[in-house]
Amino acid sequence: MNDSHDDRHQDSHEDNHEGTHEGAAKPRKSPAWSAPTGRRTDEWSECLVLIGEKQDRAAFTRLFRHFAPLIKAFALTGSTLSATHADELVQEVMLKIWQKAKAFNPEKAAASTWVYTIARNCRTDMYRRLQKFDTPLAAEDFSPEQDSEEPFMQLQSRRSAEKIRAMMGDLPADQKQILAKVYMEGRSHAEAAAELDLPLGTVKSRVRLAMQKLQVQFEHSLEAGLSQS
Amino acid sequence: MKTGREAAGRVEQATTMIRHHPELDILTEYAAGTLSLAQAACVSVHLNYCERCRRTVSQLQAVGASLFTAQDPEVVGDALLNKVLERLDDTPPLSYQRTPLSSQDATPALLSRLMAGDFSDLSWKNITRALRTTQIKTGDPQFEFSLLHIRAGGEIPAHDHRGSEMTLVLQGGFEDDRGSYRAGDFIHRSPEDIHAPRAFADEDCICLAVVDAPLRFTSWKYRWMNPFLRLQTG
Repeated sequence: MNDSHDDRHQDSHEDNHEGTHEGAAKPRKSPAWSAPTGRRTDEWSECLVLIGEKQDRAAFTRLFRHFAPLIKAFALTGSTLSATHADELVQEVMLKIWQKAKAFNPEKAAASTWVYTIARNCRTDMYRRLQKFDTPLAAEDFSPEQDSEEPFMQLQSRRSAEKIRAMMGDLPADQKQILAKVYMEGRSHAEAAAELDLPLGTVKSRVRLAMQKLQVQFEHSLEAGLSQS
Repeated sequence: MKTGREAAGRVEQATTMIRHHPELDILTEYAAGTLSLAQAACVSVHLNYCERCRRTVSQLQAVGASLFTAQDPEVVGDALLNKVLERLDDTPPLSYQRTPLSSQDATPALLSRLMAGDFSDLSWKNITRALRTTQIKTGDPQFEFSLLHIRAGGEIPAHDHRGSEMTLVLQGGFEDDRGSYRAGDFIHRSPEDIHAPRAFADEDCICLAVVDAPLRFTSWKYRWMNPFLRLQTG
């Protein structure tokens, strides 16, 4: 939780640079984190860039010591995975990070979000493997094909991620509990409702309230608007 | 070759036309990785059309990341670290290629992979004069993933759903009593919704549909077909 506070302080530098779109679009000569455009400068982004550019093993080791215990916790939370499977998942995720670090772009994503997404995909694939799904698809194939290349959009998205981290601690316990069930334990809303003995509508509205508090922006479906009126 | 600007323009154009989006709870389940495989594929295809929902999903993933980093860590010994370090040499970094922007009319890559070809390569089954369908194997044991082809101006007989139905328009468009839908639009129906979609008059319509129970015709004229509309998952 400590690094989220550091991140917020850096946020204030960003305001001066919103207009410099063309600067950010140029090929980067220096590593991204040292550029004075308010980019993320946290240790884990640095590690990922070092791994991507130089296959830096020391950086990989630092990253492992920080994230492996979180990946293991993620594997064991609310799941039937054994300790052996949890260790296997840690290895898979860390090797994926090693392989894909070049694709990490600190302008687009926080290191923690990037690592979390890989861990989520590997866990989903492991579940499906254990349940003997016969599918040609891996979880990472479901990621959208394109990210926003627009620097302004990237800035916006980094900002909202900062805000989410900062505000997470203020969520009411009942909302946080549901989010933990859904994200960490990997339960669908319906499963979460059954386990907590709550109506599905209550689960959905708590998720919605939590996302509103975290200021997650979303499109209202026109359909929902019609059917509720 | 398209220039970046042209490609961006096309995508922006596609984005602004999309008016029907997945609900927040569906996007949350997608971001948390808890949607069933076939449903996740359907949402993923919508995201290829919809920049706004992509942005929402990236925020929803940031929610997951902050829960992830706030967990109580489990002990991981040096033995595991050494095991991973030993394997690094056998795990060469992947060369990173940026996927090109797919143009508005291109079939999303995920769908092309599932279809293993083009719409015309699939074996279609006629349901009515205006409607034909084809099931696509995804490996999802619960949800059926299929394509619907509605002839221009054709109508699908009124039906409800024994389960939920996700529909995504891929080509052309259709309308029903609630609105009209074009390429990229995402429609989610619950079991009790009855509708009778009609394709636009000037173009055939191709939709992707994900259902967990077969649809059921409500009009007496087509009810006899219900036993034949069996679900094919997997």
